[in-house]
Amino acid sequence: MDEDDYWNSSETKSQAFSFDDDVLSPQEILAIGQKPSSGHKDDNIFASASVSSTKTLLPLHSLISPKVLNLILLAQSGKDLTKEVKVDSEQTVAVTLKRLVLGRRCSLHVHRSLKCKTELLDGAIAIGDGNAILTVVLFLIQTLNKKLVYELLSSRTVALNHYISFLQNEGKITELTDLLTMLGRSPEAAMYQFQHCVKSQGSNVDGLLRKLTNLMANHLNQPGGDTHHAKMVADYVKLLEWQKFANKQELFNRSALYCLAYCCSHHWSDTAGNMMSPMTVCQRQQIPPLQYDWVVLNVHAKSEKWDIVETLFTKKDWLGRTTVSSHIPIETLLARLSELQASKRLMATCVNKITSAEDRLRLAQMYKIEPVVIETLAKQKDRIALTNYKMTLSPQSEVFILAENTLRDTSIKWKN
Amino acid sequence: MDHPLLMKLASLSVISQCKLQSILALCGDKKDLIIDTSLIKPLERICGVSWLRQHGIDKIYKMDPQLSTTANVNRVYFIPACIQKYRCILDQISSMLSLNSSLADLKCFHIIITPKVLNSYESILESRGLYDIVKLHSFAWELMALDEQLLSLELPFLYKQLFVEQNQSLLSSVAMSLWSLFHVTGKPNAMFSVGKLSASVLDMLEVYNETYNRDSFGSNANYEIGALILIDRNQDYPASLLTPATYSGLLSEIFDINCGHLDLNVKETKYKKGKLDFGLEEKKAVEKNTVMTLDSSIDNLYGEIKHRHFSEVLSVLSSKAKLLKNEDIKALGIQEMKHYVATKLQQVTIYKQNLVNHVLACETIISEMRNKFENLMSTENDMLNNRNKKSNFNFVDEYFGTNIHIYNSLRLMCLLSLTQGLSYEEYNTLVSKYLLAFGYKFLYVFNNLVNAGLLIQPSSVKLSLNISTLGNLSDRLPKWQSGFQATANKLKQLPSQPEKNVLLKLSALNDFKIGGSIAGILKDGMETLNEKLSNMKLQSDLEFGCKDAKSLAKVVKSDPNFGKVFPIKPKSILVYVVGGVNYAEIAACDVIQKTTGSKIYIASDCVMNGGDLIFANT
Repeated sequence: MDEDDYWNSSETKSQAFSFDDDVLSPQEILAIGQKPSSGHKDDNIFASASVSSTKTLLPLHSLISPKVLNLILLAQSGKDLTKEVKVDSEQTVAVTLKRLVLGRRCSLHVHRSLKCKTELLDGAIAIGDGNAILTVVLFLIQTLNKKLVYELLSSRTVALNHYISFLQNEGKITELTDLLTMLGRSPEAAMYQFQHCVKSQGSNVDGLLRKLTNLMANHLNQPGGDTHHAKMVADYVKLLEWQKFANKQELFNRSALYCLAYCCSHHWSDTAGNMMSPMTVCQRQQIPPLQYDWVVLNVHAKSEKWDIVETLFTKKDWLGRTTVSSHIPIETLLARLSELQASKRLMATCVNKITSAEDRLRLAQMYKIEPVVIETLAKQKDRIALTNYKMTLSPQSEVFILAENTLRDTSIKWKN
Repeated sequence: MDHPLLMKLASLSVISQCKLQSILALCGDKKDLIIDTSLIKPLERICGVSWLRQHGIDKIYKMDPQLSTTANVNRVYFIPACIQKYRCILDQISSMLSLNSSLADLKCFHIIITPKVLNSYESILESRGLYDIVKLHSFAWELMALDEQLLSLELPFLYKQLFVEQNQSLLSSVAMSLWSLFHVTGKPNAMFSVGKLSASVLDMLEVYNETYNRDSFGSNANYEIGALILIDRNQDYPASLLTPATYSGLLSEIFDINCGHLDLNVKETKYKKGKLDFGLEEKKAVEKNTVMTLDSSIDNLYGEIKHRHFSEVLSVLSSKAKLLKNEDIKALGIQEMKHYVATKLQQVTIYKQNLVNHVLACETIISEMRNKFENLMSTENDMLNNRNKKSNFNFVDEYFGTNIHIYNSLRLMCLLSLTQGLSYEEYNTLVSKYLLAFGYKFLYVFNNLVNAGLLIQPSSVKLSLNISTLGNLSDRLPKWQSGFQATANKLKQLPSQPEKNVLLKLSALNDFKIGGSIAGILKDGMETLNEKLSNMKLQSDLEFGCKDAKSLAKVVKSDPNFGKVFPIKPKSILVYVVGGVNYAEIAACDVIQKTTGSKIYIASDCVMNGGDLIFANT
């Protein structure tokens, strides 16, 4: 069988998480293993039994010789081998680079010509040790004028990235912006500024508004900028303005959907046009219908306001039957309703919306919506399947009787 | 020196201990240890509290910016190489000095930084006027044996630095870890690198070798690892982005795993924590959960199930439970009973505990993933095989609109982008939905994802028409095959004729093909090994395996005689992933080692899954 067929075949699919009859249920296994018990709990900073003490380890001498241990310790400390001090005293570019890579002390200031500096930079890049690369770049910044350094960096992406990372970590955003603007990478500079701004302002709405408005004016709305980025930041500003109006500490710098959820639970009945009405937030931030429905469903279902959920997601058709109308795809909706423990009736309404009998049957069985299973099997005129299904229901229950009555129904022309 | 290799690898912590000891010896006689919380678990793998006491540590504190006086004047801070944490400590020391300037002459401040002190740290120290007052120490702990054949440096911040910030400052630590390791195992004859960072690691390894050990490798020359393959994480992102199907892979999807210890939090799983927050849930107090150690040498039950397809796991656990049930203690005589209590009882108790914990973990996985797993799997499968692009996008779009998850949704978006590509409009639709859900502040995350190579940002059609000349128009036309697909096809990773593919039959490991380039490359390597093909063939295979001709497999200078490299002897390979390996890849390597009768050891700077990759970009 083709790999894909294998995974898509209904047999595999339905069994992916079910197990042989012969297999014990998790509860049975737990019963054998008795109560869940903890390995070790760390009440102190350190767990009482550390891994190193529970395992038997080999003694050091069967791993490495004392001589090797000394080398390893020396390498970690970055100190010189005593015998090497004299040999390395001449300060060539190669010697300096090697010392940098080994983490040994060295002064870069002996390299004064532009040629030496360039060689140092290229050498560090060639080895690929970022510590060495950044050290050389910072040395260049100290000893060369900016224009020269930028020239060197512009053709050496690896070194440039190290410098960018350094400036970012140091919070030197103005310098970073200058650098990137000079290199013709202004949109990137805008993004670094944005990142710095959101990370440094926390949930200070006023500060964020001020900085973001500046950013829009100076970078994002300039020609060549990414229009979608600009729109997103503009939406951000809109949301922050709304939050400022709402003036609720718990909403400051929270997401649009979080604010929407807040409005749904606290201002559900506010009239449209009111700033705090959910519809206002939805329109203001252009929340797509799918996301809107999802938030509304979750908020009201979690606070047990099923009447609201029903009025929102069901409507009567011209025959007077109740059908579901939501932007949430029906399978996803069912899965979520089941997680939220919706009523069987609502679930049944949902499942009935599915036109394909096969899918309807599958989902009705999956979520144990018995009347729909019975009805669908009856429509398919499949007496054998219905008889088998009846056996799985608990005798004399309401649905069991429904199944029996359906089987007795003389108006159905059974196919088997 | 004839101990088994596994034993030696597990004992690497002894060397780490010596390294730490040599540092503590420089920090005064009696001192307080102030430790960053992220380092507690790794430190537990190196030493215990009593060992620390023996080496002069009097009291231990968690690092806290508000921390005021401690028991002793001598303070030893212990932090990872993270500039913010470093600054925070310098602030603390500065404020202590402003209160009591006489501390400056006591040389009582020490900061141990793992894995190393960067030159910029020294400059910051100097610029703050703290040079000579505060002493910095590098602590490069050795690879930690988390599990049999699994080594990790446990430096979770490395991926972010290397790939998101593109800052290679700590890359030398990877080289250092290998250099130390080879003193214990012997240096492999053949070393290959895939990717730029890996190539740099080999270069730095060469510098260490030239400097320190002109002769030191010779002494224990029973070479136990035949070859080293170093690979950059960004050479195969899809392998991390895909949802794993193995037990260990799914564990890492649902639970926090730190340093090989799983926090069995069945209530607040990683899935739940990443969902939309409607402000309705009450914040629960942090509970202490059971901790499971994911190490087959301690928990052999875990060893039996870790690489299995998840659908098989519960039945294995069930059969183990039955065995336990059948073990009838009542039938034992008194002497036998004594013997049982003395020898087996404790074992059985631990075994039962492990069994229970695994069942709880399985139940949690099932309840969290039941509804999503199959659809997710089949969509991911279609993405890999470049099928049904439109419906794959719709799936992702619906996911973003409904059950959106802060990391996993982006992960799926990245996978689609890398395998089938996203149009400008599709890309922006997903970005907008994500920002509505989690806040516009995350706009920069997409920039990071693009920089890290996890996401391909499409250019707007309008824009591209302006710029493009006829010459490069073809580049801008939608491609029917992405770079990923091209690579995967070359490496024959997507099996078209499963009946011929032994590996698929061997295990229900859906991940295998997902095991990605690594598995592919290894497979090639192993085939060559078995068939003793000429080395040039392998070389070219590997070259094709890389995304461009830029990143090549590279045989290290130390072995100029190419012909001697193959067949690889002994038949054991160390695979080192720079930037984090995942459990699916580990399982895939296990399949390969079984089919080829070889040994594959995995090492990395961290074990991380797709969600962790995305987290590193936020």
